[in-house]
Amino acid sequence: MNLFGVMGISASGLNAERTRAEVVAGNMANAESTRTAEGGPYQRKEVVLQSQGPSSFRMQLANSTGNQSGGLAGGVQVRSIVSDTASPIMRYEPTHPDADANGFVAYPNINPVLEMTDLMGAARAYQMNASAVQAAKAMIQQSIELLK
Amino acid sequence: MSLIDTSMMQRLSHFLDATAARGGVIASNIANIDTPGYHARDVDFRSQLATMMNDNEENTPAAPRIVEVAGLTERPDGNNVNMDREGLALAQAQLQFQTGVAFMKAEIHRLTQAIHEGGQQ
Repeated sequence: MNLFGVMGISASGLNAERTRAEVVAGNMANAESTRTAEGGPYQRKEVVLQSQGPSSFRMQLANSTGNQSGGLAGGVQVRSIVSDTASPIMRYEPTHPDADANGFVAYPNINPVLEMTDLMGAARAYQMNASAVQAAKAMIQQSIELLK
Repeated sequence: MSLIDTSMMQRLSHFLDATAARGGVIASNIANIDTPGYHARDVDFRSQLATMMNDNEENTPAAPRIVEVAGLTERPDGNNVNMDREGLALAQAQLQFQTGVAFMKAEIHRLTQAIHEGGQQ
């Protein structure tokens, strides 16, 4: 592994955490959306993260032949963005244009506390990855210093 | 081993390789801090360095031996990456790398001095 590979891993972490923050922001922005393109109220979205396995052939081979090296270090990727299937919150608002026959309006089931803690987690993890980039950068710069 | 490529240089380059590999594994742990089921890993630094130091004449850098870290508390989602541990390990790897580079610089300086000894500075 070279030092630029370290930066690539951290970059994948930054990317994943930013996507997570984006999804949380989308959830909070759509907390009151009663209409979507698919019909019905907005459904809360969630990010599924997956660790990137060993990429090189050599490492794949080493793993499949029972070499207990644990595999090469890999980054992280956003596997998918899934919708939360929780049922919507029904509020009695007979004058609302989207009210049903009984006068209830279906609102997205979004808990602001849950979203905020998720956002804080994403921000912290982003910070952590950013400092890993800083560390890798410092190491590269130190290697360049050798040439002076 | 030659006049320029001294055994000190070879060992130092192995040390820097091992430290960089460890930095990569730590970066991977940090990137996967929210991946469900991910377990923190680390380079078996001591044994890797020992093997690297022993085969000094042959320039075959061994692949890093990556092991799962034992004794970490698992979160409900099956992930056991500890932010404090990774932060500390990253700082440690960085300082080790810095130390290696400082030694290498000193070695290069020593060689340059030896080269310049006969002629003008």
